[in-house]
This record gives sequence, C-alpha cells and structure tokens, in this order.
Amino acid sequence: MAGAVSAPPDDRTARPGPTRGTGAGRAAARIGMLLGKRVLMLAVLLAVVFAAVQLLPGDAASATSERGEGAAGVAARRHLLGLNRPLWERFQQWMTGLPTGDLGTSARGQKVTDLLAAPFPNTLLLGGAAFVLTMAAALVLGCWAAARPGGRLDRAIGLGSTATFALPEFIVAVGLLLVLSLWTGWLPAVTLTDGGGAPADWTMLVMPVLALAVPQTGWNTRIVRAALADQERTPHVAAAHLDGLPRRQVLLRHALPGALPTIAIGAATSTGMLLGGAVVVETLFNYPGIGTVLAGALADRDTPVIAGVVACAGAAVSLVLFLADLIRYRTLGDRS
Amino acid sequence: MDLNRRQLLCMSGGLGAAALLSGCGGGPGADSDGGGPDGPPRKGGTLRVGALGRASAITRDPHGTQGNESDYLIIALVHDTLTAPGRKDNTAGRLATSWQASEDLRTWRFRLAEGATFHDGTPVTAEDAVWSLRRLRNTPAGAARLPGIQAHRITAEGKDTVVLVSDRPNAELPLLTRLTTFVLKKDTPEKELAQAPGTGPFRLDRYRGGNARLVRNDHWHGGGIHLDAIEVTMFESPQAMANAMLAGQIDLASNAGAVAARTAAGRQDIQVLRRPNDMAMPIVMRAADGPFADPKVREAVKLIVDREAMVKQVLSGYGTVANDILGTGDPDYAKAVPQRHRDLARARRLLGEARFDLSRTYELITTEDIAGLAESATLFAAQAREAGLKIKVTKQESGTFYARTWLKGDLYTNYWGTNDSVVFFASKTMTTGAGQNEAGWSDPQFDAACAKVLGTADAARRRSALRALQQIEHDRSGYLLWGMADGIDLAARKVRNLPKLPGYGRVQLEHVWLAR
Repeated sequence: MAGAVSAPPDDRTARPGPTRGTGAGRAAARIGMLLGKRVLMLAVLLAVVFAAVQLLPGDAASATSERGEGAAGVAARRHLLGLNRPLWERFQQWMTGLPTGDLGTSARGQKVTDLLAAPFPNTLLLGGAAFVLTMAAALVLGCWAAARPGGRLDRAIGLGSTATFALPEFIVAVGLLLVLSLWTGWLPAVTLTDGGGAPADWTMLVMPVLALAVPQTGWNTRIVRAALADQERTPHVAAAHLDGLPRRQVLLRHALPGALPTIAIGAATSTGMLLGGAVVVETLFNYPGIGTVLAGALADRDTPVIAGVVACAGAAVSLVLFLADLIRYRTLGDRS
Repeated sequence: MDLNRRQLLCMSGGLGAAALLSGCGGGPGADSDGGGPDGPPRKGGTLRVGALGRASAITRDPHGTQGNESDYLIIALVHDTLTAPGRKDNTAGRLATSWQASEDLRTWRFRLAEGATFHDGTPVTAEDAVWSLRRLRNTPAGAARLPGIQAHRITAEGKDTVVLVSDRPNAELPLLTRLTTFVLKKDTPEKELAQAPGTGPFRLDRYRGGNARLVRNDHWHGGGIHLDAIEVTMFESPQAMANAMLAGQIDLASNAGAVAARTAAGRQDIQVLRRPNDMAMPIVMRAADGPFADPKVREAVKLIVDREAMVKQVLSGYGTVANDILGTGDPDYAKAVPQRHRDLARARRLLGEARFDLSRTYELITTEDIAGLAESATLFAAQAREAGLKIKVTKQESGTFYARTWLKGDLYTNYWGTNDSVVFFASKTMTTGAGQNEAGWSDPQFDAACAKVLGTADAARRRSALRALQQIEHDRSGYLLWGMADGIDLAARKVRNLPKLPGYGRVQLEHVWLAR
C-alpha cells in the first residue's frame, strides 16, 4: 500500500516528519492529479456538447419560435439569445458562470438552475437506487457464479446476465409496465409528483429503478465474474486454496479485494449508462428527472439547458469515476 | 438523430402495449358521447388532469410562447382572456361580457365583467386590461397575435371599457382577443409573472416543474364552478399519459390522441371524447410560381387525393373528410359547397390541359411536428402515384422547415390548430400579401370577398359574402385540405360536462363536475 506507509509506533518520535510528509504529499498530489483529470475531462465534454449542438440543423431561436413570429422576429430573438456570437465566446461565457452555480438561461427565458432544481435530485435518486441495486445484485450473482466455476449455476448466471444486458431499457420498461401495473394493478403506471416536485409515493420508483437496473446488472455480473476468475489465477489466491481455506473464505477475503478495482471501473461505466438509460425510462414512466429535460432541450437546440444537464450528470459520473480511481490507487498504488 | 429514434422506440413500445391491451377493441364507433350533464351537477372533488408538455419548454409567462399544453392549461385556468372560443358563436364572453363596434368597424369597445376581481380581491380595471394587451402586443409574436392593432391604439375608457382601434375595418376583431389576451394586474413585475394573481376560475395553489394544483376561485365573475380543485400533471409522452389513464392515476387525459383512444376503446370505465375540427393538416401548393401555379394543376391534385382513405388511415378514423376550405368549425362554414371527391380521369385531363410535366418527380416536404403529419404525406404520395403523379416525400426538422420551406416551398404539409373561423384563415393566410400567405396565393376576387366580409357590419350580408369567399377558396386556393382530425380526450366515467370545443377549447374545464 503506497501513501499510507506508517512507521512502527516506537519510532514515531525518532523519525523526522518530512518522510511522512512526503508520502502524504505524494498521495495528495496524485489524488489531485486524478481529480484534475476528471474535471478537465468534464470541461472537454462540455465543449464537445456546445460544438455538437451547433452542428445540429436549426438553432434555439428558430426551434422555439412561434408561428407568425416572422424572420425578423426570429433574428431578433437570435440576437437576444446571443446566438449570433461566436461559439467559443458563448462557451467561455457559460463556463465562467459554472463555478458560481450559474448555468445560464433557457431559450424560453427560464433559469436553467430552476429548470433542473427539482429534476436533478429526482434523477440522482432514481440512478442512485438503480446503482445500489445493480451493484448489490451483481456482487451476489457474480460471487455465487464464481463459487462453483463451470457449474450449472455459473452457466445459468452467465447466460442470464448476457441476455439481460442485451435487453434495451425500454423493452424491460414496457414489460414491467404491462405485468406489474396494467395487468395486475400492483404498481402505479407513471410517476406523479407531490408539492415538492418529488415522486408522490415510493412505489412509483419501483418500475423505473428496475427498468434501469436489470440491463446494468447483467453487465456488472459479467464483470464481477470475470474479475474473480482473473483473481483465481493469481499466486496468493492459489496459495490460499492450497492452504485448505474454505472456498467461500478464499473468494470473499482473498479474491474479491483484488477484483475490486476492475469491479469499480465496471460500476463507474455503469453510472454513465444508467444516466443515459434514464432518458428513455423517465419518458416512459413520466418520471420527473433530467432525462426528460434533456430530451426536450435537444429538440429545442437549447444549448444552456443541454450543457446544464450534461454538467450535472457529468459531475455525478465524474465523481463516481474519481472514486473508482481512488479504489484503484489504494489497491494498486503507483502502479495504477 | 438519436433522440428521434429513441422516441420512436418508446413510442413503438407504447404502441405494443396499447395493442396488447386493447386486443381487438372496437374502433371509433364504440365511443360514447359521455361528458353531457346528466342530473344536477355535484359540488366538490378534485379533478386530476394530464396534459402534454416538456420539462425543457416550460413557460410561466401568460403572454409568452407556450409550447406546452400543460402550461397553457394552467395559465388559462388562472387567468381570463377578454373573450373565449364559444359554441354558438365562435366568440363568447369571458372577462369582457359585451363588445361593440363603431360604424366603420375599426373601433371596438369591450366592456369588462361587472364585479370582476383578481384573486387577491383587487377589482379589475380597464387599465389592467390595457396594460396586459399592450404587453402582449409588444412580445415578439405580438403583431401576429393582434394583427392590425398598434399598442398605442389600445386604450382605457373609464373604469370598465377597453378600446381597440384597428388599422382597417375588421368585423371579426373579437376573434383576435380569444386565446392569449390574459389579463394581469397593471405593472406586474417580470419576476412575479408566474405567481401573479389572475381573475380566472381557479387560483394557483402550488406549482412545481410543470405540475400544478389549482383551487376554486369562489369569487369568479363567471360563477358556476363545481370542482374544489384541479391537479395538472405534465406528461412528456402521450403513451405515458394513456398509461396513467388506464391505471386510474388521472381522471382526464387532455388531447391524448388517436392511439390512446384506440387503446381505451375497449374499456368500460373510460370515456373517449371527440372534439371535431381540432386540427387541420393541409397540403400547401405554391400558387405564385413553380409547377403548381396553374389553378388547373391545383384542382387536379385536389381531385387525386382519396379523402376517406386519408381520414381512415392517417387519423385512424378519428376525423372527418374536408372540402379544401379552412376553418371547418366556423358556424358559417359553407356546407352547401359540393364535396370534392376523388376523380382520377378528370385529374388526368386537367393535368394534360395544363401541360403538366408528369415525367418529373416532385418533392413533398413534411415534418414530424405532430402525429400523423408525415404519414399523411406518405399516403398522399402513394395515392398520387395511381394518377401518374410521382411524389417523393422529404422529412425536414422543424427549425429547418420554418426557415426554408414554410411560405416558400412548392409543395409541403402544414398544420393549424385553430379551425373555428373561415375569416381567420382567409385574412391571415390567403389574401394578397398576408404575412402568412403559405401558398403565395393572390386572387383579386378573393381579396375583394375577404375585404367585403371584414367590412360588412350587417350579419346577413356578411354571411352571404362569406359564402362567396368560401366558394373561391374551394375552387382555386393553394390549399388541399383532405380532412380534419378530432381532438381526443380520455376521461373517467365519473367526469361530466367536459369541453367539447376543438383546439384551445380543450382547456375549458371550469364547469366540469364529478359524479359519484
């Protein structure tokens, strides 16, 4: 373990501080670099978003214009929205507001922070719940499969996880909707909100969470299973087996810790896919999250709103990626 | 675009669900008339309404561009317009109870309802209405919303009279004050527009992210409100709204569309309400120049379309055949003009006489802005092929369409949501030089007919002028109007006295009541 090198207690006074300072400093620098990398990537992503919206046909002034506004009216609105200024200038201006929490104004004159204030926490709740469920299920299923490699259960889980990963969210969603709501009436079909803008009832979360979690569970189960298989081949796990330790103990105490960095990376990529899937799932269940905001903003070519959604979602994904980096770093040290 | 594919996937998923659910449920014939008030209205209860809207397009400004039906619904329940769409005449009173024109039909005086107050108790004055109308006129789309009326020619006369002076005689001016003339308090700051007290039948209780709860305004000048409250939920997709209806989470799905109606047709607990003349989807042929400039060619094209098949396939039967005259919901719509039917022999003859080049392929430009529009273009192209006219359908993204094709193209589809006035279309889209003359049509006889209608005060004489106008429109205009789509609402059995008017009339929920 690098960075956390600690001297024996009796040496504490004798050893000069700088050694520890250097170790901690190196770790801090390394973590800072990882964080910087994620922040930089987010900034690049936002620049790409600005450029990509620019490449779409039409712009916000024409997409949100009212019939009868006329070319002059649209031109005036284009000027008002600042769309006649160079892309780089608009990006720069938007980015300067970002650290202060100012995400700009939508093409229809609403503050982007207001547009996202209620939906973003809802998406975090949905994505977070789906993420926890996915990871818990993937770890259990992956370990279960790895316990008897090549066994009947292993093959069944392998097959099942591949199949579910191949299912698009909307197929899962429509299936759930039919079975759990419209045929049986067990769960509400769509999400309605309370006065605070959050889902009115927890049962409304069940289907959206499942629709997102099922395909991702397939993906993560495969990763957990593969990472454990890799660990089985390492000398220390082989040694543990030779020592005659129980399978379960070897799996959980010796193989799993080494597999964590790989699993963490898989989980981190899942975050992105969960948020991507949210666009479809939220629309289908009328879940009031940022996915629905994004879908509409794209149709409106509403760059500040799109960038605002990307910034929020990107920050969440970056945070998870950063945590995955930390896990890798903790496990593998500077070899990472 | 990826989004569209995804939306399409969502939709097909929804469709799949719908088909599975309805099985082979009956067609439009199975619908009930519902909605009629049977027995004395019952007071109380909360109506849960679903309306379409997108989170990104939310607008709270009553004079803004309301892209969302949900926003418009909320605004129209909280705020009153001067006048509103009506049943017998197409203009009914709202905040203004009566109106009168001067001899020359240029100056119109609107008298405000006696005792009308804002939700905070302040009486409504003409000053408030003038301020609101001027604000509306000064929005970017103001010239299209109040055409011919300059902002400074909107004035107050005493406490309760608003005076509008038009640049030209306009016998139909009150039509213009129906949809967006929401009255707010004078000098309402921009920041407080969303929460500003209105004069409407319901007060805003709470609002969040496109969804709102509204409670009854016991002091409404119109009276007769039975509901305690209305809860509006915004739905991103019609499929989700239909599912909420099927699962009993809402009592009314406003403007749910034909697919949802088919889904619900087999359900005993849901009424399917059809509001005729809701949406026009005409095919526009450029009359000014290009291949369709010859009136014979345009008539031939109008004879090629199989109107019954269009209504049946594009609208799933939820609509009616039309006769190339726009404004089909007008009480004075010319039903006497003989219905044009498919006549391929005559169409070929006309094309021959006009020496129309049948060896070329013509491009029909369409968008996917509303359900069925692109399908109408595709089906029409297939029908045209049977007459030897080759048409290729090109889909354009909405923004591109309005920038490049609208008002300019040779052949394109379009849609209009307010269809209860013949004059509205005539003056706005067909007279020479009109701002939205979509076909570039110019016909001196038609212009004269339109001026006559707008300049005639006598009702009977105006009606006969209107008939002449419609005949010319039927014969020569650049519009092929094959049919009219119904507006379709789904409602629970207990909901009574639902809106019957097309278009924006769908928001008139103030007299709805809930049976036990």
